[in-house]
Amino acid sequence: MTTSHPPVAHRSRARERLRRSGPGLALAVISLFTVAPLIAVVVLALSPKDAPTLPHAIPHSLTLDNITRIFDIGEFPVWLLNSLVYSAVSVVVILLTASMAAYALVRKRFPGRNVLLWAIVATLMVPMQATLIPTFILVARMDGVNTLWGLIMPTLANAQAVFLIRQFVRDLPDEIFDAARIDGAGEWRTFVAIVLPLIRPVLATLAIFVFLWHWNDLLWPLVVGQTDAARTLTVGLATLHTETVSTADIMSASLVSFIPCLIVFLVLQRHIVASITSSGVKG
Amino acid sequence: MSVHTPPRTVSDGRKPRRPEATRTTANGRAAIGRIRRREAVAGILFVLPTLVIFGLFKFFPIAGAGAMSLTRYRLNGDVTWIGTDNYTRLFDDPHFWGSLGATATYVLVFVPLIMAVALAGAVLLNKIVRFSGTFRALLFVPYLSSFVMAGIVWSWIFASDGPLNTALDKIGAGPVPFLSGDQLLVLASLALVAVWKGFGYSMLVLLAGLKAQPAEVHEAARIDGANSRQAFWYITLPLLRPVLFFVLVIETIVGFQVFDTIYVMTGGGPNRASHSLIYFLYDEGFKFLDFGYASAVGMVLFAIVLILSLIQRRFVEGKDAK
Repeated sequence: MTTSHPPVAHRSRARERLRRSGPGLALAVISLFTVAPLIAVVVLALSPKDAPTLPHAIPHSLTLDNITRIFDIGEFPVWLLNSLVYSAVSVVVILLTASMAAYALVRKRFPGRNVLLWAIVATLMVPMQATLIPTFILVARMDGVNTLWGLIMPTLANAQAVFLIRQFVRDLPDEIFDAARIDGAGEWRTFVAIVLPLIRPVLATLAIFVFLWHWNDLLWPLVVGQTDAARTLTVGLATLHTETVSTADIMSASLVSFIPCLIVFLVLQRHIVASITSSGVKG
Repeated sequence: MSVHTPPRTVSDGRKPRRPEATRTTANGRAAIGRIRRREAVAGILFVLPTLVIFGLFKFFPIAGAGAMSLTRYRLNGDVTWIGTDNYTRLFDDPHFWGSLGATATYVLVFVPLIMAVALAGAVLLNKIVRFSGTFRALLFVPYLSSFVMAGIVWSWIFASDGPLNTALDKIGAGPVPFLSGDQLLVLASLALVAVWKGFGYSMLVLLAGLKAQPAEVHEAARIDGANSRQAFWYITLPLLRPVLFFVLVIETIVGFQVFDTIYVMTGGGPNRASHSLIYFLYDEGFKFLDFGYASAVGMVLFAIVLILSLIQRRFVEGKDAK
């Protein structure tokens, strides 16, 4: 008999252990909820064709055949390319133009500055869907429907980016700019060599979010890209889903669409937590 | 939170002392003028790309949205001014009220659900020491996916021969028509997908709020003999209220904008059960090409989001004023 401790102490120690490991166990359960569907995508995408697979059986072997095969479906490679251009160009242009604007709006005095700043911030309250129709008409009038520039241009007006970078530029000490001026740096040089490196954390964060927003966007690419060749991967994925393609094919396409997001996240993830906490970016 | 700090005025953030300003000679004044002018030109040049893009693709469409909602608009350029006809038609349209009702029901299921999961995740993450980075990443990872991909995966999970119904079958709970049953079931299924995809973001915001809480307050509560449940209800939650409110408003706005999962999973059905406000807008605009009418729907969404934003703004400012 191991009654060296009274039963009460036993119970409290068990409770203590539960208190310690409880949160971990609960998190493991929620993680199962978040990760299991993604694992299912991977398994279904890599299951050999016509072999028994989820949810009825676990496949004996995995293959990359499905992945290579979907590149032959319709315009799949074009969709992938469209998504890459849409996201990459948007990230670069938004980060650059928003940084320039934020720098000028904080550090330069010029007529109309406050009105412009107020107008940009005010657009944060207007949801994109409310201006979907006029934006589409505008792009249609400019013959931008089914073109890459028609897809990209309207999404470059990103108030969130201007606002967040502005917060960052505002907190830079005046002395840095005085020193730059004394050293004879011109406006552009000051911006490129001093401002941009100093605001790198917020740029990294925005790069992640702008990439995710554009890569995963559906509504705007859906209305502006109406031909097969003008679709982005997300729109193509939605189209494939309504057509009669096999589970293996649609899951392979999903997996391909997901991998770039995962890579971006893994490379830049240390910025994400810090930034969400300090700014409140919402996609 | 900080999204609504009022814009700074010209004067602050800059030190008023300017060496040039002490000189009052004509030469000096001319020099100041030159410097000011150069600064203004540089400022305008830096802001120009943004000004052009915003002017054309943001300010102009926003103004156009209100105007278009007062017209009968055809893509071929045939425009007729019809005043508030679109709105009277909208408020007489049972399909519009059906869509608004479906959206409201969806929001009422989605928002409490995502708040609960996000808060649970944040509180648990805040408690553990080991593997916190790993768990944080595992819980956040669906946020990286698109609603389209989420919709595709969950369509498979919800299918009549999918894993969920296979499991339910084994315990004798019979097949559940997640995406083809009654309205509440379909909307709840769609909400679950959005919670899976989206709670990671709010979870991180709430986690930040928790981490910002002063340890002394919790220490003091423990010394006063509060148990962990009391500490949570009387200390943690009240301190977290501003952050909770921020997340609540944000997720409510997200809820009202539901479209992608519906487009992929139900197509608005069955029997318009999941025909949301944005789905209605999309149909009217791009299926029936009734652009004026669709713009009026857009204005309704704008009104909803504006009201929510103003409530949030008021709340945040009230807190700052204290």
